[in-house]
Formats: sequence, C-alpha cells, structure tokens
Amino acid sequence: MTPRLKRAWRRAVRRSKALRSRARRSSRGVRPENIVWIFGTGRSGSTWLGSMMEGLDGYAMWNEPLVGNLFGNFYYFRVGGRKLGKHSILGEPYKETWLGPMRDLVLGGAAARFPEVSGGGYLVIKEPNGSIGSPLLMEALPESRMIFLIRDPRDVVASSMDARSEGSFLQERRDGQRRTSRPDRNPNAYARLRANSYVQQIEKTRQAYRAHGGRKVMVRYEDLRADTLGTMRRIYSGLEITVHEADLARSVEEHSWENVPEEEKGEGKFHRKAKPGGWREDLTPKQAEIVEDITAPLLDEFYPNTATTRDAL
Amino acid sequence: MIQDAWRKVRGRGESPAGEETGDMRPENLVWVFGTARTGSSWLSAIMGEIGGYSRWHEPLVGHLFGNLYYERAGHRSEDEHFILGDRYKELWLSTVRRFVLDSAAARFPEVAGKGGRYLIIKEPQGSIGAPLLMEALPESRIILLVRDPRDVVASNLDAHKKGTWTADLMRKGGKEKPPSLAESRPDAFVKGQARRYVRDVGNAKKAYDAHRGLKVLVKYEDLRADTLGTMKHIYSALEIPMEEAELARSVEKHSWENVPEEEKGEGKFHRKAKPGGWREDLTPEQAEIVEGVAGSLLRELYPVRSTA
Repeated sequence: MTPRLKRAWRRAVRRSKALRSRARRSSRGVRPENIVWIFGTGRSGSTWLGSMMEGLDGYAMWNEPLVGNLFGNFYYFRVGGRKLGKHSILGEPYKETWLGPMRDLVLGGAAARFPEVSGGGYLVIKEPNGSIGSPLLMEALPESRMIFLIRDPRDVVASSMDARSEGSFLQERRDGQRRTSRPDRNPNAYARLRANSYVQQIEKTRQAYRAHGGRKVMVRYEDLRADTLGTMRRIYSGLEITVHEADLARSVEEHSWENVPEEEKGEGKFHRKAKPGGWREDLTPKQAEIVEDITAPLLDEFYPNTATTRDAL
Repeated sequence: MIQDAWRKVRGRGESPAGEETGDMRPENLVWVFGTARTGSSWLSAIMGEIGGYSRWHEPLVGHLFGNLYYERAGHRSEDEHFILGDRYKELWLSTVRRFVLDSAAARFPEVAGKGGRYLIIKEPQGSIGAPLLMEALPESRIILLVRDPRDVVASNLDAHKKGTWTADLMRKGGKEKPPSLAESRPDAFVKGQARRYVRDVGNAKKAYDAHRGLKVLVKYEDLRADTLGTMKHIYSALEIPMEEAELARSVEKHSWENVPEEEKGEGKFHRKAKPGGWREDLTPEQAEIVEGVAGSLLRELYPVRSTA
C-alpha cells in the first residue's frame, strides 16, 4: 500500500469509528418500543393524526423518512423482475445480515434527528408513502408500535387527484420537477394508477399489521373524523400508551378541522375538504368505477357497508 | 448453513482496524461500474477465475440507495426528515458501508479476514449509486468500464426483443417478460436506453473522478482489441497482484472464440462482441437519437469517433 493510500485508509478508519460510535450512542437514544409507526397510504389523514400525537408533551414526529420506500420498493418490486437470490443485496437467504443495518438506519437516524425524545419520549414516524416496506420495518423493529390508518380508496384517489392537479400545493412544492400533472392529462389513467398504488400500500400494511406481534391498532379515517377524541383514546389504549385526557383533548382541539384557517382550506390545498364520502362530488362515475374495480377486495374487507357506484345503478 | 456463517462472521468481533464488518476489508473490494451490456460479465469472469479472487454478481446495492437518492426522492435531498437527507449523509453512509461489508462477509467468507484475496463486485446496473458507494467505501478500488453508447443501445435493443435471453432470465425469476418498447416503438426504446446510459455511466464517471484511491478506466473496445494487455493494465493500475500465466489462461478460457457457436448471435447473451457494430444494428435516426442524448459522454470518452 502506498503512503497516500495508507493515509486515506487511516482517515477512513477514523471516520468510520466516529460514525459507528455516534450510531451506537444514537441507538441507545430513541427506544425502539417508543417508536409508533403510521402506515397506510398518502392522503388518508396521517399528517393530521401524527400532528395530534406530536402535540402532546414528550412526542416528536418524523415526517415521511421514506425508509420503507427505500427497502420495500426494491424488495417487493425487485429490479427488472429478478429473483432476490444469493447475490442480491436484499437476498432472502441473507435477511439476517441486512435487517440489522436497516434497524440501525432507523434508530441512528431517529436519535440524530430527535434528541428531545431520547431516553423515554415517543417518536411518531409518519410513513404512509413508505408503507410498501412496512413488513420489513416491523420485522427489523418488532418492539415498535404500529398504527394501520385506512381511508375509503375513492376519497383517497379523489384527494390525490386534487393534490396533483395543476397549481395545487404538491405541484408547487415540486416546482422544477415535471410540471404537467398526470391527473390533468388523463384523469382516468391517473385514477387507475393511484388505485393500484393504494392496493399495494394497503396490502403491505395489512401484511405487516397481521404479522406484528407487538402493540398495534387499526384506525379508519372516517371514525377519526366522526369522533376524533374517542378514536384517539382507542388508539392510545390499543398501543398501551398512557395519555392524560386533558392533554389529548387539547391537542385534538388544536388540530381540529375547524381550527384550520379558512384561507388554508379548499381545492388544491393541503387541507381540502376532510369529508368522508366526498368522492361522490369529486370523481366521475367512470373514475369511481375504476377505483372500485381495482380495490374491490379491500373495499369489501374494510368498508363492507358502503354502497358502490355499480350498486347505485 | 448461511445462519451459521453469519453467526461466525458476527462472532469475530472487531478487527484491529476497529471495523465491525466481519473482517471484510474494504480495500479488497474491486467495483466494476458502467452500465449493462458493456462487457462487465466477461471482465469479471476473467478476474473471478483467478485464484484469490471471488465474484459478487450484481448485488444492486448501488441501485437500492442510488435510485431513491438521485431519482425517486431526488427533490428531498435537503429535507432533514428524508432518510437519505444530505444533512445526515455521514450517518447513513456508515450504514451503506455496513450493508456492503456485512453482506460481502456473509456471502464470501473465503475473502473476509484474509489479506491477498479480493472480491470483484460486478455492479453495472447499480452504477446510479456509484458516487454514494465510493463515498461510503473510499478505500475500495474502481474499474470504470465504458463502451460506445451506440453499441450499448444496439445490444440492449436486441436483448429486449421477443424471445431473447432477457425473457429467459425473467422466467427464471418467476415472471413473464411484458411486451417491450423494443418491439412496438424501437425509437422510443432507443431514447430511453440512451438516457439510462447517461444516468449510469454519468454517475459512474462522477464516482471515478471523485475517487482518490486506486482506479482504472477501461474501454470495452480496448479489451476486445488486446484482452491480455488491457487486463495487465487493469491489475497494474489497481496495484493488485496476479500471476501472468494464470491471467493468460483465464483470458483464453473466456475469449469470444471459446464461446460455443450455438450460444452466440442475435437474441443471445453473447451477441456479436463487435465494436462499431451499431452501424449494422441501428437506423441512422436511432444513432442520431443516441448521439443527441449521450453526446456529451460520447465526446468525452470517444473524442475521435465519427458520428452518424
């Protein structure tokens, strides 16, 4: 080895040691059992739910790290349809070798970002768009707690279409990215695409939820809207986390729909209408049918008493 | 058996250097970056054949991290909540490092903990993440393998037609190959492949340029013209040992001439291995599409070549 390389090597070792030491300290920071994951799908009220929880003393919210997306996308969709064999970095036969680093990535990242909840506080990880990786994350962190948040797929699609329309908050946030939004170009194709992603995310969340042996709770957005405080109490009870009633009521009130300023609500805005069943006003009958056809088994399972567009014909 | 190997690896504890990575030495990793259809299987097969070398065939770890970092969530790099956010880069790069070293040690225990043994990581399709991998593992070595983008695209165009070796590969993975643009809209396919070339080779080159350790740039065309001479140059530049007679034997064994005739030709993994063959394979319009999309890399890597 040349002297130059030796120096590079020593620098790398020092850096590696420092990082490892930091990661070790970090992993002692946030307790894995004090992590509460929110899985499901985007536009299902996860920001609202996460904010109500974050509003309590001793809580922090990690807003969409996409760690589930990182691993789940690769693991479940594979690359080019290949089998994840011996050579693949996430090869099934070597799962033990990569679940550890995955766990460290979450715990180390959590401790570095949220030192305020190290040593006893709760960290709510809002990860609806990483739900594809929820089975892997819950396997890597079996002590953590899980909320499965679900919403009627027709309202999810209607909300997503609005969010991705020209001039909406999401388009503005991604200024510089592709400006022509898909819902504007071909709304039916977008409805199909979003319904398919709903199925993928909810099926993976359900898989993780069923397999998780720890504390968990399933919540419907519609129940959270109808009786927010009551549903929040049920969530804390299901997760076996003690909460002071008055604090919870205060946080619920603070984050209520009624307390969102009127100018921040409406079409194209993050806070749109928060109206279960609003899809009837937003989707065309054809779009509703597309969503219902694609999500039929999930609609039957989670919304068995909801009439479909075909029923109404 | 694998779990036993893993326990053994974990049980070794820290190396004298303080690594907790099953004693897989990062400086003994040799990455082959570039893009698909540049001869990386051939090159890595020659190297893997030699005593003391093992070959890791496309772990796609570069794709795992690079795809989210550069493409799917590229707009979130400055968001401190993003798991691969720039503010916490040192922290997550240490995980990337561990991912690679732990996984390599578990799969290749014959290399872990031994000086003088090397692991060739053939990773052309993970080249999008090459800058991240080399930042995480600065001691390791790089081979940047490039090929004329027009030949790369021509080779991919052939590979993705109906009934070719790529369909067989997918079938082995339990999936049927969906209809490809290579059949229905070949010009659009060509454009997509040219963009992919720019993404992969562009990022591999970025990693190569930034890498301060041992590295070598190899052109497929040189490897075809003088395989043994080019291989000697690779070992010399990477400062890794080889025995010349053994290298010559491996070069001979993996030569184009030694591939059985029935395994060569259109639609097969071994197609034609002919630099400049794009003139027979692409239409003038398709060649122009590639030159338009990959022009900057083409001029930089192949400055004296003629265009369509």
